[in-house]
Order: sequence, then structure tokens, then C-alpha cells
Amino acid sequence: MFRDRPVWPDSPRFPRVIDMATNSRRAVLTGFGILSPIGSTPAAFWDALLAGRTGIRQIQSFDASTLPCSIGGEIPNFVAKTAIEKNYRKSLNAMARPVQLGVIAAQLAMQDAGLARGSVVKERLGIEFACVMGATELGDLARASAMSSKGPRQPIDMASWGRDGINEIPPMWMLKYLPNMPACHFTVMFDAQGPSNTQIPNDAAGALVFGEALRIIQRGAADVMLVGGSESKIHPLSLSRFNAFAPLTKKSATPESAVRPFDRNREGTALGEGGAAFVLECLEHAQKRGAKILAEVVGFASGMDRGFKGPGLAKVIRNALTNAGIQPTDVDHVNAHGLGVRDLDAFEARAIAEVFGRDVPVFAPLNRFGNMGAAGGVAELAGSVQALQHGLLPATLNHDHPDPDCPIHVHTGEPRPVTRPFAVKISFTDLGQCAVLVLKKWEE
Amino acid sequence: MRRRVVITGMGVITPLAQTVSELFTSQVEGRTAVGPITRFDARTFPTNFASEVHDFDLRRFLKEPDRYLRCGVNTQFALAAAQQALADAGLLDAGRGDRSRMGVYLGSGEGAEDFPALVNSIAAAVEPGTATADSGRFVRAIQEVLDAPREAELEMHTPAGHVANVFALDGPNFACQTACAASSQAIGEALELIRANDADVILAGGSHSMIHALGITGFNRLTALSQRNDSPRTASRPFDLTRDGFVIGEGAGLVVLEELEHAKKRGATIYAELTGYGTTADAYRMTDPHPEGRGAIRCMADALADARLKPADIGYINAHGTSTHANDATETAGIKKVFGELAYKVPISSSKSMLGHLIAAAGVVEMVISIVAMQKGVLPPTINYQTPDPDLDLDYIPNVAREKKVDHVLSNSFGFGGQNISLTVSRFTH
Repeated sequence: MFRDRPVWPDSPRFPRVIDMATNSRRAVLTGFGILSPIGSTPAAFWDALLAGRTGIRQIQSFDASTLPCSIGGEIPNFVAKTAIEKNYRKSLNAMARPVQLGVIAAQLAMQDAGLARGSVVKERLGIEFACVMGATELGDLARASAMSSKGPRQPIDMASWGRDGINEIPPMWMLKYLPNMPACHFTVMFDAQGPSNTQIPNDAAGALVFGEALRIIQRGAADVMLVGGSESKIHPLSLSRFNAFAPLTKKSATPESAVRPFDRNREGTALGEGGAAFVLECLEHAQKRGAKILAEVVGFASGMDRGFKGPGLAKVIRNALTNAGIQPTDVDHVNAHGLGVRDLDAFEARAIAEVFGRDVPVFAPLNRFGNMGAAGGVAELAGSVQALQHGLLPATLNHDHPDPDCPIHVHTGEPRPVTRPFAVKISFTDLGQCAVLVLKKWEE
Repeated sequence: MRRRVVITGMGVITPLAQTVSELFTSQVEGRTAVGPITRFDARTFPTNFASEVHDFDLRRFLKEPDRYLRCGVNTQFALAAAQQALADAGLLDAGRGDRSRMGVYLGSGEGAEDFPALVNSIAAAVEPGTATADSGRFVRAIQEVLDAPREAELEMHTPAGHVANVFALDGPNFACQTACAASSQAIGEALELIRANDADVILAGGSHSMIHALGITGFNRLTALSQRNDSPRTASRPFDLTRDGFVIGEGAGLVVLEELEHAKKRGATIYAELTGYGTTADAYRMTDPHPEGRGAIRCMADALADARLKPADIGYINAHGTSTHANDATETAGIKKVFGELAYKVPISSSKSMLGHLIAAAGVVEMVISIVAMQKGVLPPTINYQTPDPDLDLDYIPNVAREKKVDHVLSNSFGFGGQNISLTVSRFTH
């Protein structure tokens, strides 16, 4: 099943799993880093989940009051300069906020896992990150725009922009926003020379990075993978854009109760920002170094539900269960995307009901911190990792009136003891790209 | 036994041609499509030329194109290349095969921002004479002018999502953005998805255009682009001593990757076998490759090892060959390290000398060219190669195509951020 690779110049010798059907390499989570509207340490995040606190508030960092949805999940008091490792601080000015959130979350996850630079064979350490193109900081283009704009709805003076405006833009401008920059900075910080990839399918990206990293570990192409995501849509351009086309809540006056997953009175979601990262590690590697294990990642599937009918997502869920080798009855809870959007919640509920009926409790944490887009899948998943770890499933907030269109059992009220070993995480985009993960409670 | 993966369909939208056969002919003839930028008025930009796709009309490719005509060119190019590749593979009809076992993996770029809306709204918010813009004023200004459907189509998941929806590809759906390595990485990871039995068929490749005001602005600020405005057609000159940066292109390419038994069972035409995939990170800097090419070396070596090939088996290298100082030097150094003495014997060329750099879509289009080169026994040249660089002394197939029978090709793609991808394709044998 294993074979030694020939030794090329500078090429590490390592086992490559050839037959994935008989593959036995297992992947466990050994470190967690979080920067979120409800807490920026694992303990604070868990406390907020358990206590039912929400981070959805009026946007503070700029005046969003003229937008229909002016609320969201903002991280209070995030100071990248003090959070980032000292000898990497000078690189911060080449990072927009989403990149900073990603790099620091990754750094926190590595610290939590007890992995310093050099502690993993460099060719065996990689990264799978979820991130999309960041929105430009307005100041970066301020002088160029002032020079070249001839007023609202007027064409831009391109001659002026190309001749003069362009010279007013920071030379590294584009690099601050590229989606693959969190991964790039991570590889440099931790000398990670293994596989590196960046997933961009918005709300599905967070689950996809786990799926791909799981396969990378299973096939033996790395021993340790940093898996995470980061995003900040709490930005004047992003929030304006999403107000234009996304199903955001209009209940800006009551931020705490605005987003209502699977509730009869749901009418829209809210955006959030954050960075969330885990260390995913080959079990053997983790045990050899005596790492603390948070949970095991045991199954993954991805696929489409064209037209949001439900059976497509249901099939992806079943494929993930099959991949994990388990039945629906083995599942303690489903961690839903739970946007709080009328048709999308109904769609998700139909799929959950088709596989699990009303038997399995559904937990939807998104409305505590907002839709973090590419980072969302990772942050939402974190709720289940911690639930399995602590043996308690927190409640879903703002689910007060069950909806016949959502025939599922949404867990509300007091935290509920975890009774079965597996949790299922669902993610999907507004084009029907679905990804599902299966986690297993870690027991020695 | 490991599941084997073959290529059974190919489609391209490129500046040189919008079919695979015409693309290859133009490569063999050494043609270039580089010319003045027509997408916007770039006359005063430090770089005012590019390799653009002209005369593109999505209506030629889709039966019901209307909903997609408002999408950005990223998505439109992807849909057109997808239509070609699936038709080529005989999988266009949504009734063919188990669609839940057929997925999509794109290396695709971001959409182009609404430049006038953005710039005018920032200008409306700037405190005169400063580099400070008032966010509240900006928000008020921009919400008046945003075109909602257009904004929705800028989101990065849309090309892969639309391709899957239009062509009923219900299996795994991924999209990555690792700069210039993206579509090669998509092909490599799609190979692994099929090997791991996550799917039987993946439509893999990429699509990208950064030929818009902010794209050219960004690359110009990084001084990555050639500024040879007086001679655009000779500006892309990989491995030449006088190279001064890459020439930006745009386009899309998609290949149908299929599990061998699946392809055989349905009697598909097999163009080649995708045999090896290597992926590494330089872990060095944001834009510069590691000077000794440490990531590139291991990535080529890993791809060969994955394919169980020796350097002597490789008959042609389709280089990343961007025409930047750093890339061409480190790539050459890397090839020497991996191939040793053989480095001087294996023909190498850069498709970018003719096509320009298709960024996220570059790798897949170069893969398609490599496959056809292997089929036809003709290796496309590196054009604009006039002044040898004393340190770059390999066989770059200067200026004229060459007949040679090859059984295995190595294709490299290296991206900003230090991601390196190497793929090997091999003549299919039972």
C-alpha cells in the first residue's frame, strides 16, 4: 500500500498512498485559532456559544447607517500589530484586513497545536485556506480617484489615471488583497513547503478546504496541514455591494434578533468578519508528539444541488456519511449553514429532513457572528468541534417559531449533552455548490 | 491498483484561437495575438498592450446564453471552454452518464470591479488634498450607482457554479485561486479527486481576465509587466537576455479528466493520460521565486515520482516561462537541478511567448498545447528569442517549431505567493 518514492535531488523520501480504497491514514484536529465577533480565543468563543451571546451589532467601524442592512458581526478591538508574531510584523502593511485575520488565526492555531516553526518536516507541512479577493481600502485609491473622477456617473479620465493617478497608488496595492496571500504568508512564517492551495467558492470554501486537506493527509502528501479561512465583509464597499444583491436582513433596528435560522419569521441574513483555523494532522504524527486531539475529521463529500430542490444536497450528505462509514443514526447533531434566509433555509431543511428526519438535532451558529463567507464554514464548524470536545451542544438562537417549511428539529434552549460520536457540517453557496464534512468525537 | 486518469475532452478560449486545433496551429506557426489594449483606454498606462481575446460571442457556444451575457468574461470564457470540452468528450448531453459522479474544478479569477462606480464614489468621499476617504460618504455615493446583478456576478464562486449548473455536472465542485498556478493546481487536485474515488469525471482547468483598469494598474505598480510599448508583439520573450516582464493575456481552458475504466466503458477517445502531479510552496516571499528554485525543483521531482517517470523519459517541457527575469532564471536553474546532464537535451518552450500570460488560466491552456504536441509529434517554439542569456543555456526551441516524437511531457506553473505546480502527461498505452 505504501511505496517509497525515488530520491531526487532535494526531494524528501515519503510514503505515497497508492490505493485510496484501503487507505488507513487518519486525520485529527490538534490546534484551533479563532478571531470572531463573539470571541478571539477558543475559550471565549466557547463561552459565547454556550451562553448564547451574539456578536451581531450596528457596524461601528464606519457609518453604514444609510444602508438597508447596517448591522453585522464585527470583531471588536482587533489589533493586528500586537497579535502577529514580532518578526513578521513588518509584513502587515502588505496585508489587507482579511489577510491579517487569516494569518493571525493560522498563527494562533499553530500555537494552540504546540507547533513552532521548524517543528514539522518542512516539506510535510502545508496549508489549505479559504479566502476571496479583498475589497480595496478606500485610502489606497483616494488620490488617484480624486485626480481622475469627473463627478458622479461620469466616465473616468483614463488618461489622468494612467499617467498620474497610478503613481499615487501604493506599489504593493494588489498584493494586499489577493486570496492566496494568507496561505503565502503562512508558508513563509512557518517554512511550510508542502502543498498550498486557496479555495474561493464563498460559503462552501470553508468546508472544501477541510475536504481537500483530508485527502492530502490520507494520500500521504503531507503530515500536517493548516486548514482555515478568513474574510471581512465589514467594509464600506463589500457591505454596499452585498446590500445590493444579497438576501440581507432589513431589521437593522434589532440586530440581536434579526437573523432567525429556520424560524417562521426569518427574512434575511447578516454579514460578518473573522479568521478561523485548525491544524489537521495525521493521527500517527499527532500521537508520536503527544499532541492534544480536539476531534477527528472522518468524511467529506461535495456536489451540486441545481435549483435548490433538496435531493442534491441530501445526496452530498449521504455521500459524506458513506465516506465516513457511518449511518444517519450515528450522528449527534447537524451543524447547518442556517443563513436565516427564507428559501435557502427551507432548501437546507428539506435536505436535512430527507436524510435525518426530525430525529437529529440541528445547530445553526451563523447568526451569532454573521455570514463570514469563505471563513464561515470553518468558524461554523468550530462550534461542533467544541461541542464534541466538551460533550455539550449549544442552542440555536432566534429560533422561536418553527416553520412547516423547515421540518427539522432545531436545537434551542439549554445546552444538550452530546450522545452520539459524529457531527455533520453543511455548507453551500447561492449557486448550489454544496460541501459536507463529518467530524468524530475524539476518544483515546 | 491506483485509479488511472485520462484526458477525453479539451476546450479553449484564447487570444490566438477559440478552438484547440486552431490554437495549436497558431502555436506551431509562431503567431502572436499581442496588441494595444482595447478593453479600456490604456494609452497613458506604463503598459498599454496585452494579449486580448477578440470576437468572442457566448451565443456561439450556449443554446440559452441570455442569463450569462451579463456575467463577467471570466464566467463567459469558462462556459464556452466547458461547452467545447464536454462536446469533445461526448458528455454535453445531460442525460449521458451518472452526472453526480462528474464534477468541476476551476482555477479561476475574480471578476472585474465596476471601475467608474468605484473611482467616482471614492472621489466623492475624499477630503480634498488628502489620501483619506470618508467611508460614510462613500457608502452613500456607491449605493446610488451599483448594478446589483453585475455585482452578484463578481463573486468568486460564480464561474465554477455556473459551469456546473449549465452543464449538469453534479459532482464535486471546487475553485481555487493560486495566482498563475491556479488552473494547473485545479487539474492536479482534480486528478487526486478521481484517484480517491470522489468522482469519475472532472471538468478541470481555469478562466481569467485581468485586462481591466485595476488589473493593469496592480501589475504595473508591481513592475511585473513588460513595458515595451513600442514593440508589443515582441514583448513576451521568455529566456531572452532582454526580457523585461510578462505580457498579460486572458482566456480559459478546460479538460475532461476521466477515470480510465469509465472512459473505456463508454468508448471515449483518449487523448493522453495524466500521470503525475507535484505541488510545493517556496515559503520564501510574496512575489519573488526562491532564487535557487527550491520549490520548483521539488515540485518537478514530485510530479515525476508520482508518475514513476525518470527525467530521461521526458521528451518535452512546457515551461512556465513568463518572460520575467526571476522566473526564467529560477525555472532554468530548477530544470538543471532535476534533469542534470539531460537538461541540455530536453526541448523546452514557453507558450506564453505567443499567448501572453493567461494568469489563472495559463496552466491548463499550456497543458492542452502539450497534449496536442505529443499527439502530432510537433513541439511549438519559444518565439521572440533573439539574444541568448549566458546563464540560460538550455534548448528553448528558439523561434521555429520542431518535429519530435515524445511520450511524456512535463508542464510547469509557478504562481505569485510561491505555489508551484508540475504536471506530467503521457501518451496513453494500455
